[in-house]
Amino acid sequence: MKFTIPQEENMHPGHLACPGCGGALAMRLALKALGKKTMVVLPACCWSIINGPFPYSAVKVPLFHTAFETAGSVSSGIKAALDILGKKDITVLAWAGDGGTFDIGLQALSAAAERNDDFIYVCYDNEAYMNTGIQRSSATPWGAWSSTTPAAKEEPKKNIMDIMVAHRIPYAATASVSYPDDFIRKLKRAKDIKGTRFIHALVCCPTGWKCSSEISIKLTRLAVQSGIFPLYEVENGLKYTLNKPQQISPDNKLIRSYLGAQGRFANLSEKDTKKIVADIKSEWLRLLNKIEGNICIKQ
Amino acid sequence: MKQVFQLPPWAISTESTLYNKTGSWRNYRPVYRNRIPPCNNACPSGEKIQQYIDILNQEEGLYKAWKLLTQDNPFPAVCGRVCFHPCENSCNRSDYDEPINIHTIERFIGDIGLNEGFKWRLPRVNKKYKIAIIGAGPAGLSCAYHLRRRGYQSTIFEADNKLGGLLSQGIPSYRLPQDIVQAEIARIIKSDVKIHSNTAIGNEYDFDKLLKEYKTVFIAIGAHKEKKLGIPGAEHPSVIPALEFLYQLCAGKRVKIGQRVGIIGGGNSALDAARSVLRLGKKPIVIYRRTENEMPAILDEIQEAKEEQIEFVFLAAPERIIIRNNKIVSLECIKMKLGQADKTGRRQPIPIKGSDFKVGVDTIIPAIGEEVDTSFIPGSFLKVLDDTVSTNYEGVFAGGDAVTGPKTVVDAIGAGKKAAHLIHCYLRQVCLPVGASEKPVVFEDLNTAYFEHETRIPSGKLPLSSRLKTFAEVYQGYEKPQLKQECSRCFSCGVCNKCDNCFVFCPDMSVNKRAGKYEFDYDYCKGCGVCVLECPRNAIGLVQEER
Repeated sequence: MKFTIPQEENMHPGHLACPGCGGALAMRLALKALGKKTMVVLPACCWSIINGPFPYSAVKVPLFHTAFETAGSVSSGIKAALDILGKKDITVLAWAGDGGTFDIGLQALSAAAERNDDFIYVCYDNEAYMNTGIQRSSATPWGAWSSTTPAAKEEPKKNIMDIMVAHRIPYAATASVSYPDDFIRKLKRAKDIKGTRFIHALVCCPTGWKCSSEISIKLTRLAVQSGIFPLYEVENGLKYTLNKPQQISPDNKLIRSYLGAQGRFANLSEKDTKKIVADIKSEWLRLLNKIEGNICIKQ
Repeated sequence: MKQVFQLPPWAISTESTLYNKTGSWRNYRPVYRNRIPPCNNACPSGEKIQQYIDILNQEEGLYKAWKLLTQDNPFPAVCGRVCFHPCENSCNRSDYDEPINIHTIERFIGDIGLNEGFKWRLPRVNKKYKIAIIGAGPAGLSCAYHLRRRGYQSTIFEADNKLGGLLSQGIPSYRLPQDIVQAEIARIIKSDVKIHSNTAIGNEYDFDKLLKEYKTVFIAIGAHKEKKLGIPGAEHPSVIPALEFLYQLCAGKRVKIGQRVGIIGGGNSALDAARSVLRLGKKPIVIYRRTENEMPAILDEIQEAKEEQIEFVFLAAPERIIIRNNKIVSLECIKMKLGQADKTGRRQPIPIKGSDFKVGVDTIIPAIGEEVDTSFIPGSFLKVLDDTVSTNYEGVFAGGDAVTGPKTVVDAIGAGKKAAHLIHCYLRQVCLPVGASEKPVVFEDLNTAYFEHETRIPSGKLPLSSRLKTFAEVYQGYEKPQLKQECSRCFSCGVCNKCDNCFVFCPDMSVNKRAGKYEFDYDYCKGCGVCVLECPRNAIGLVQEER
């Protein structure tokens, strides 16, 4: 098998991401998919650091640093300004972490999605406020250690896909850098759709997940294979499509090897692990029900 | 100083992060390295299997593949047919689904070489050295070829009128057609190798004289002396040794056998004889003292014999041949049971007292193994030294079945190759390493996430109905599309085949592609190791940085 990703490179090395950063790779692949005619809107997140200190930048496209809660509204504004200038061929890409999406930026994102403003919103989700010191966010999974949940987080992860799908936006998808072909296909597909497009990408943070850097890609692949982070697309809030179905099954062994490789899950007891496995299996069934719901829509 | 209104509305970056050489963060450095694939490692003649499959995958041409393959083995068409393919047994793909069908790929390359008349480009002969080779079997011919590749001309002495040793005397044509054998031999002879056939050393030519004349001799006489059956009645004319029987068949002569033929043994000769008997329209019964699991014959042949519904009597040893009116009427056998494993790991058969039984046969073909006959060497005889090729005689080397006892064709070819190497070292008084001894790649080293499950493409095969009446070749080999499909299954263990994974997954854009090769940009590589783990074939290693 050989990947057929675009050769064009729209990012520079020398950026400040930690070794093995999944978020850095996500940006690299996204810019490969979207090309030079892209403007990035960046609220506070890891990428504010990764992009380098003033006056340096790691990307070859315009990138606008903005306040934590404003990715949605600034993207709406930039797109409106581009429309006024008649620059119709420029893609606006809001690039936010899980904190800026699940927590702080949710209102602005929801409002923009409700207006169906024309931009792509990518949430690269590393499941905590990593660059400020690994504080928990509402994307941190149940049972995970963080510096603000020193034993374990007691609340489940917020389901951001359900929230965005409920806005009936034209396109929402989950994506993973462990599947570069699928990741790039989804961004290219999003590029060709008008309206608010949302992509939720789980990326590994070796620093915050407390794992060795070389397993970064392997872990997010395991997340997909084990059913923890299934890859799927939702069109117009209704039509669900499961990607890579042959690769996915909520598998006890795979889930355990995913959890076992990460220091942030080191505190889990056997009972906790069983609960996580059961939760993943029921979430998986819920997703399958939604996919089967497609049949009812067709009738 | 600029006025406030002269400044842009906000700060704008003007430079790239290229200033920041993040390579200084690194504790470990990834390096491209090629490791030994298990198939190459397992091949007794040292074929670069992964490499020629890769040539086919990259569509660099069949000639290039043939050239590479024949660098190590001048008999690809023969080995593609009769080799026991240890390469396939060690193939990492067998831990995933099924091993690559290497021998059929090899056969295709070999056949193309013959059909297209591919030629070697060999160096000019250095007339200074005279080398004699005794025996024109696979070991002798392989040695002659490998010497020729190094610029030496050799003279082969063969006792028979036909060249090829066991290849042309002992393997029936439904497994190995004679025109293939002779064509591959002719190619070696044509590359300027001298031949004296019908010249047995000891009879027509004295060994001492040979040694005086040539100074350097390679003995590759094989193992032809049939072991004696040693039971009452074994001297009867209807007891035909397997090699003798196969020799007559290969020579195209008719051999008189009865209706029910008992074949004693479980090796390749036994099965060759049994399947030949079947093709002559008679009934073969194979009698073997252990079970199917311990049979030394190659697995493919056991399976084919079973497909052809050859009758087996396992756990039975012959005791006595019963002769009435000067005709064999039956073979008395005793039942065996399996005891403890011996040094070779095979369980030893133990006779069960009083369990005698009779098998009704009128001809018996013993195939219980062969021995080496070194009676032509006068006086004290040959002692083979530790490296299995050199001997206690100065300038005399020995190899193949003659040294190891009956082994396989490819072992003999490998021995010939090794002998050529050591003869070269001896003549030039240099010491060159025989081969690298690194650890081959094992299945656990691979990242199988990038491999899809695909079934092995079987070789074309004659249908059972049409193969039992003739000596026509059973296997038909591949067509080109099948070849392509099977080659694409290769994992390319330990050797980069440009899959792009390291390039795709690098978060730091530190993998550059230059002229079809990958290079790490150590100015920026942070040493995260993602490429090392995501390389499906373990062709990247991680080395600690020295500080």
